[in-house]
Amino acid sequence: MKKIVLAIALCATLALAGESGGSFDQSKFIPDVSLIVDTGYVHRNVSNADLENSVPTSKYGDYGTFKEFNTNNGFNLNYAEMALHSNVDQAFELDGIFHYATESVEIEEAYFTTKALPYSFRVKGGKFKSDFGRLNSQHAHVWDFADAPLVYNSFLSPEGINAPGVQFQWLAPTPWYMKLGFEAMQKGNGGTFANDFDKKDGEALYVGYLKNSFDVKDASLLFGVSYANGVSNIEDAVSALPIYKGNSEIYGADLSVKNYFNSYSFINWQSELLYRDMKSDDATIDKDKKQSGYYTQLVYQMDENWKTGLRYEGFLQDSNGGKTTMDASYKTSEFAQLRLQYSHDEAFKQNDVKKAIDEIVLQLTFAIGAHGAHSF
Amino acid sequence: MKKYILALLFLLPLTLFANLSVAVTYPYIGALTKAIGGDKVDTVVLAKGNWDPHFVVPRPSLIAKVRDADALIMNGGQLEIGWLPPLIDRASNPKIATNAKTFLDLSQHVELLQKPTSVDRSGGDVHPDGNPHFHLDPNNILILAGTVKEFLISIDSQNSAEYEKNYAQFSDMWNKKLDMWKTNMTDKKGLKVVQYHNVMAYFNHAYGLTSIATIEPLPGIPPSSKHTMELIELIKKENPCCILHDVYHDTKTAEFISEKSEIKVVIMPHDVGALDTIEDLVSLFDYLTSAVK
Repeated sequence: MKKIVLAIALCATLALAGESGGSFDQSKFIPDVSLIVDTGYVHRNVSNADLENSVPTSKYGDYGTFKEFNTNNGFNLNYAEMALHSNVDQAFELDGIFHYATESVEIEEAYFTTKALPYSFRVKGGKFKSDFGRLNSQHAHVWDFADAPLVYNSFLSPEGINAPGVQFQWLAPTPWYMKLGFEAMQKGNGGTFANDFDKKDGEALYVGYLKNSFDVKDASLLFGVSYANGVSNIEDAVSALPIYKGNSEIYGADLSVKNYFNSYSFINWQSELLYRDMKSDDATIDKDKKQSGYYTQLVYQMDENWKTGLRYEGFLQDSNGGKTTMDASYKTSEFAQLRLQYSHDEAFKQNDVKKAIDEIVLQLTFAIGAHGAHSF
Repeated sequence: MKKYILALLFLLPLTLFANLSVAVTYPYIGALTKAIGGDKVDTVVLAKGNWDPHFVVPRPSLIAKVRDADALIMNGGQLEIGWLPPLIDRASNPKIATNAKTFLDLSQHVELLQKPTSVDRSGGDVHPDGNPHFHLDPNNILILAGTVKEFLISIDSQNSAEYEKNYAQFSDMWNKKLDMWKTNMTDKKGLKVVQYHNVMAYFNHAYGLTSIATIEPLPGIPPSSKHTMELIELIKKENPCCILHDVYHDTKTAEFISEKSEIKVVIMPHDVGALDTIEDLVSLFDYLTSAVK
């Protein structure tokens, strides 16, 4: 309830600020505001209850939920996301991203970024999405598909690594683009690095990565390696009994080749491999685990309106099967997108019976307010 | 390892004698900066001249290009809104921050046309500050050259004599060309034209051409068949001379309209490098002023 009051107060402030004029007019200082609304209609061959009870047949997803959006057959309001951005002063800028679900509000991100550090250093602090891998820092509305890859959902949770912490990034003085980053975070966010109820005092997760990019004619190559090392203190959501305690590492490698044909059309081949090594402190609760998963996808943007993609993904150890996803999307402008997606997922079983999930999603995503930057 | 560090330390002072490195968003700004900066300035151009200036691809390689720049000159008027902010953000270079004195927004120094009194996205992707394609009025080029000169002097006063000299040379040359282009265009005054997007607004303004419609139904929105049919009717009624078409949109719709209404399609390069033959600012306006017939 408090949250709703807060939201209304904020809207009222913005509305009032719109009435400019007077000697103490502050309206020029309103931050950039935008609102993104994401809704979907789902048709699936599995009932909602069965989906909730589905158990992955491989050992990859022991600690993770598999879906955050478009969970119900029928209509879904996935989220409304409000973002505020402004310079604080000559030294800092500030971003706040508020994630509204039907009955909850969450500070998805709230962080400062430095503007004026020398030698191409940049520091970010607050609660933010880690820059681990190729996708973790991306918000859902810029994804190439309606859902994140299975390996991201199971290793890093549907929300990704997103926690209070600090980030240091440095651009190397190389002729090509090379970024080195290091992060220390309070905990993961569900997934492998859940540190339920902050069972470890202090920060519990360290992330490092190196990203490179250069161009060959009109194609851009991006490749990166990432590493995360942190505490896993995971409890069963219902029984609150510990299900895993130990230390976990995730190694990631990603590669994408994106060729632009003109200002509006490109083809992008992107792949990523994550390897997870979990060392259990207490073998009576659970044993050590080594797992890895991958996705590879081809996305073709035909023109300003049409885009289509194909993704194949799976797991390398004890995999039951892969998942194939295809989608096509149409934009009426830069600010509205309709997407139709079909996926066939063989990685789960329900009530101990292996059963493929076939799903069709019709997704609509809208953005109003400040003009967001085009994603790369 | 020590050796390398030593070598680096010795090399460091060399950078003190290096040229001013200026990153610019579009090729025409690069041409202006080269003309005024001469051999005292190294210019790094971010966008390609033959692609849509609204949709520059924010490649990570561009971050490396602006990372070590001493200054940044942009067009402004929100033309770069979709691609430059993340580059500035990620480059972590205080010299190209929008509040730095080494940052120049050219749109602040010319008068913008078509500033909307109200903006709403149902009217398409409009630029709230006005039409940002102001460099296509050749008279503005002279103003912009002066702005670039003042900017370079303000950040590199040591070489001010050089910049003044280059500016004087450029403006002499440009004034002669302006007279020539004006003569070329005198009999075009009052001609009606159709465009794909209102890129040539300032060119039309300079030479008295009237743009009666655009092929895109709203700014930034691709053609629709309903709008195209209405446009064909309008062309038959108003009898414009030609469709002025940019180089980066597909001419398919324009050719269809041309077929139905017997109107000419004229390709109008918008920047240096838009066509292979457009190598500099002079050849750009030589081409433009002789293209409309």
